Order: sequence, then C-alpha cells, then structure tokens
Amino acid sequence: METEPADSGRPAARRRYDPRLPAPPAFLRRGPWREGAFTSPLHEPRTVVVVGRWLGGALLVCFLTGLTSHLLQDPPGWLAPHLPARPVNGYRVTQGLHVISGLAAIPLVGAKLWAVYPRLFEWPPARSVLHALERLGIALLVAAVLMELFTGLLNTLQWYPWPFPFRQTHYWLGWTAVGGLLVHLSVKAPLIAGHWWRRAAPALAQRRAFLTATTAAVGAVTLVTAGQSVPWLRPLDLLAPRRPDIGPQGLPVNRTAAQAGTVTVPADWRLSVDGPVPYRLTLAQLGELPQVSAELPISCVEGWSATARWTGVRMAELVRRAGAPPGSAVRVTSLEAEGPYRVMEMPATYVDDPLTLLALRVDGGVLDADHGFPARVIAPNRPGVLQTKWVARIEVIA
Amino acid sequence: MTAGVRALLLAAGLAVIGYGLSGLLGDPYITDPLGVLVWAVGALVVNDGLWVPLVCLAGASLARGPVLRGWLVVAAAVTAVGLPAVLRADDDHGNPTVLPLPYLRNWLLVLAATAGLALLVGFVRRWRHRDRTVRHRARRAPGADRP
Repeated sequence: METEPADSGRPAARRRYDPRLPAPPAFLRRGPWREGAFTSPLHEPRTVVVVGRWLGGALLVCFLTGLTSHLLQDPPGWLAPHLPARPVNGYRVTQGLHVISGLAAIPLVGAKLWAVYPRLFEWPPARSVLHALERLGIALLVAAVLMELFTGLLNTLQWYPWPFPFRQTHYWLGWTAVGGLLVHLSVKAPLIAGHWWRRAAPALAQRRAFLTATTAAVGAVTLVTAGQSVPWLRPLDLLAPRRPDIGPQGLPVNRTAAQAGTVTVPADWRLSVDGPVPYRLTLAQLGELPQVSAELPISCVEGWSATARWTGVRMAELVRRAGAPPGSAVRVTSLEAEGPYRVMEMPATYVDDPLTLLALRVDGGVLDADHGFPARVIAPNRPGVLQTKWVARIEVIA
Repeated sequence: MTAGVRALLLAAGLAVIGYGLSGLLGDPYITDPLGVLVWAVGALVVNDGLWVPLVCLAGASLARGPVLRGWLVVAAAVTAVGLPAVLRADDDHGNPTVLPLPYLRNWLLVLAATAGLALLVGFVRRWRHRDRTVRHRARRAPGADRP
C-alpha cells in the first residue's frame, strides 16, 4: 500500500539511528505473506483513511466521555469542590454517548482492521528497528482498543469473565489506547494527509459499497441499542441490556436490595445527620419536613438512564438543620453491609443545589426496597452509583 | 511546521502510553497485570488469527455482490453487539432489570428485518439497472425514440 523508499534514499542520520534489519529468507514468504495474497481492491489507503476518521471520532468521543465519567465518579481532591451539579442531564448525555460511541466503534474497528489486514503480513516483517517498534506500537493500539470495546460491552451486561477488575483496567487501557492512537496518527500523518480528500483518490466502485455497508452497520447497532438512554429510540431498544421502563416502579436497578442485603430495614431505623448540631430523625419525622419534588434522571455508568419524579427533603435543608453553613460537603453512608459505594462523598456544589434531594418517594409512591427504601440520594449531573440508596447517615465533612 | 506537529504528537502519544501502562502496573486493585496481558494477546489472536481470516475467506468465496456483502457486514455488527446478551439472557445475578428482553428472538428479528431490507435494496438495484439498459438501448437505436 505504502511504497517505501529504498535504503539508499534514507538520510545517513536515519540509517545510523535506525539500523536496517536483515530480511528473512525468501522461501519463508508463503501463505498470507505471498505477493498478491489479498485480492480485494479495498485494502487501499483512501478506504482506510475514511473508516479511520470515523473510528477515530468514535474513540475520541468515547475517551472524553469516559474521562468525564471517571472525574465525576472518582475526582481527585483538587477537583471535587468544583464539580458542577448542572446541567441536570449532563451525565446522562455524556455517559449515554460513551456507550453509544463505544458500540458504534465495534463495527468501525471491524471494518478498519479488515481493510488494513494485509499490512499484518507485509514483507519483510520488520525493515528496521524503528519499523519493528512501530509495528509493536500498532499491536499495543489494536490490543488496547479491542480490550476496551470488549470489556466495555460486557460490563453493560454485568458480565465479568476475566480475572482483573473492570473499572481500573478499562480506565488505564483507555489511556494506553489513546496514546497508541496519537503515535499512530503521528507516524501515518503523511499517508492520512495524502488521502484526506476524495478528489485525490482513485475512483473505486467497491469503496462506496463498503463504506455504505459500514455506515449501515453502525446505524443498525445504534438503532437497536441506543434506546436505553435516548427516550425517542426506546421502541427500538431490542438488544441493549436495559430498558429504561422495566423494573420496580418502572425504573431499572443497578444493585437490588437482595444483592445489597437491605431487603428489610431495621425497625429502629433513624436518619443520623452529623454536623455542628447533630440530630436523628424517624421516617415519619423526615416526612414532616418540607417536601420537594424534582424531575431527575438516574444515569448509570453502564449507559442506561431514566427520568423519574423524585420527592423528598432537600439535602441543603438537612445540612442547614445540622448547623452547617452553605459550602459544606457531606459523607453519606448506606445501610448495606459492604459494597464499593456504601460510603459516598458529595461535594458542596451538589449539597447546595436545590434539586439535590434525600428522596422518600418516586413517581408518587413510597420507594421500593430496590430503589433505596427508606431514603436515597438523588442529585443532578451525577453518576448513578453515587446516588446512594438505603441511606443511614449523613455527615458534614467540610 | 508539520514535522514539529508530528514530533509533538509522537512525544505526547508516547507519554500517554507510558501513563496508561504505568497506571495499569501500579494500580493497587489490578493485582495480576499478567492476566490483562494474556487477555489482550488473546484479543489480538482471536481477531487477527480467526475472525479476519474467516471474513476474508467468506468475502473471497461465497459472499459475492455488494448487497449480500453489505448485509453480512450489518449482520456481523449486530451479532457482535447482541450475542453476549443472547448468551447471557438468563443470567442476571438475581437482578431482573438486567437483560430483561427476549434477546434470542430480538436478535433473529433484527437479522430478518435487515435481510428483508437488503432484499429490497437488491430488487430496486436490479430493476433500476434493467431500466437503465433498456433506455440506453432505446437511445442508441436511431429513430427509436423519435418516430
């Protein structure tokens, strides 16, 4: 595909710092390494550049939205006080896009890797040290991208057949993939620039058909899955692991009360609020405080989201009653005995937001055990795992 | 200028790779980075050694014509995304809101619907092609369209 200049054409400095490697004996050049082993005319740079642009766009959206999710869910100390509680649907949109772009990248990566497949068998396998390193970099990039798409897809089903933790591995491989992509763009820049515009490319009837098929594949995958986060696509939600209207009280659940061991709430349950003036409230007393209703989405890191009308007491109201000034952050502890999100910290931006509630009811009914009875946190622009259910205690921490 | 941008991109990419790999190796929760490596190499082997050769073989032998190929591309994509749900349809770890749909039925439905659409496209193409050749011939025959 890409013609390489002969060694004599390489600058002397390049020859010195990038020594040539000996070519393997020619009789080894068999099977896919043969000249002309791949007959499709589509293994050509223009097709690769077009699909590569789409894939690059999808991966970029996926990475940036994933990073957003990571920062919202697990912010470094310096960032936590500045996390915005608005826009209300912010996390719903970014995380919905994360899963939509990730799923769209699956057919795109398939098309891209098929188009460049003959490059895997280029001859000689490594011309020089730099060339060998570049090919190793491609292996790293492809492996990281395949792992990201595979683990991400299975995570939306809560299926973990591998021996490593999902969240941390998915995060670090995301950086690795993006780094590999930047290196790849740098190395291939002249080739990409040379085939960026259609008029520079030879006309090829099959190319249009191939690109149309790839577009149709992305469209089909998106149409039958995006309904888990995009309300007007819900009727077409056929293959997504969630339906936003299926679940107790018409809402999906990430972790059930049975899974958390909170099906029965202790008879002596009280909400503890610890601050300068600590106090405890029964459920009935909580119900006597001013009740506020808000339309808020519950948006899961797995991509699904659903809006409901939540009713309860403003978090700011509860914190004020404990004698804490505006600008206070809180730590919320759940009744569940264990779980990575049993304890949650909420920055002041969320605490002070008038839409942040300790909800007692959803869509008019008392919370189902699976939705966090007796009380749960619901805040705007916040990952679902931080909307703590079965709340037992709220502490003012700063 | 472009050489500078390329060098910058290369340096940034190498730094980001370094950040990702060192994070992976240093993360206290990832106790067995070798497990990640085994799965990553496995992903490469399955894709490059099994899946793409199959696609190449199918494309070079049975799958002829743009419409059939197009449908196969769509079907493969839908299957890649939907098959895990089909395989796991009855394993929700006691959470009935995970995988609540009849995934096998839906998957077959999507395959059938896209196949129907592809057939339609095939018919329209054939019909338009015939139409064009008829008109072409009529124009070439002298006096045929101007009696």
